[in-house]
Amino acid sequence: MIQEARASGTSAIFTHVPDETSARVPGDSAESALAFLAEMSPDLRGAAILDGDGAVLAASGEPERWRDDAAALFAAADRAEAESVERVHVGTEQGEVFALRHAGLAAVAVTERFALASLTFFDMRMLLRDLAGRPGAP
Amino acid sequence: MPPKPHRVLLDRVSGYADEAAAYMRRRRAFRRPFARLYYGGGRGEDHAADAEVGGELFVAAGRLIELAGQKPKS
Repeated sequence: MIQEARASGTSAIFTHVPDETSARVPGDSAESALAFLAEMSPDLRGAAILDGDGAVLAASGEPERWRDDAAALFAAADRAEAESVERVHVGTEQGEVFALRHAGLAAVAVTERFALASLTFFDMRMLLRDLAGRPGAP
Repeated sequence: MPPKPHRVLLDRVSGYADEAAAYMRRRRAFRRPFARLYYGGGRGEDHAADAEVGGELFVAAGRLIELAGQKPKS
């Protein structure tokens, strides 16, 4: 199923962003926001910020893989119910994954185990809210 | 003679800290893998790893964890 989602492209997945239209955010703003998130979250291993179409605005590492893997995660989450998912939290023995859609953008973060979920989601939400409110965003 | 007020306060604070530490120990010992989805209005749903959606979520999350790698030691 994940391979099907990848094969069908990512744009359809991110059109489900529940609130507002897709935000256009300059890449350098997203890069600084990601650096700030990494500074604020000692448990963070890696993260990516994506626009409403699923394109990577900033990522720690390979942007194409972040795009594909984030799309696969949101696709799997959206298959659970008719309603689009807002937040995803998966905890495994190897680490934890947080994904959030907000203000027409999406963020995905991977942390160490036992990261505080409420704080991580709060930081991610603030980051996306700030980015969506910057000049250049609608 | 009643205990001094600051002793009562210190005992209470260290009691809370002990409780919190015990809670964190239990959490680390007993926490199992989970996949949780949240929707508008704060509604949340758990998905078991052996269910279809849960399995897909764990696979997708595993790929992201592999992509992020380990946190570099500072």
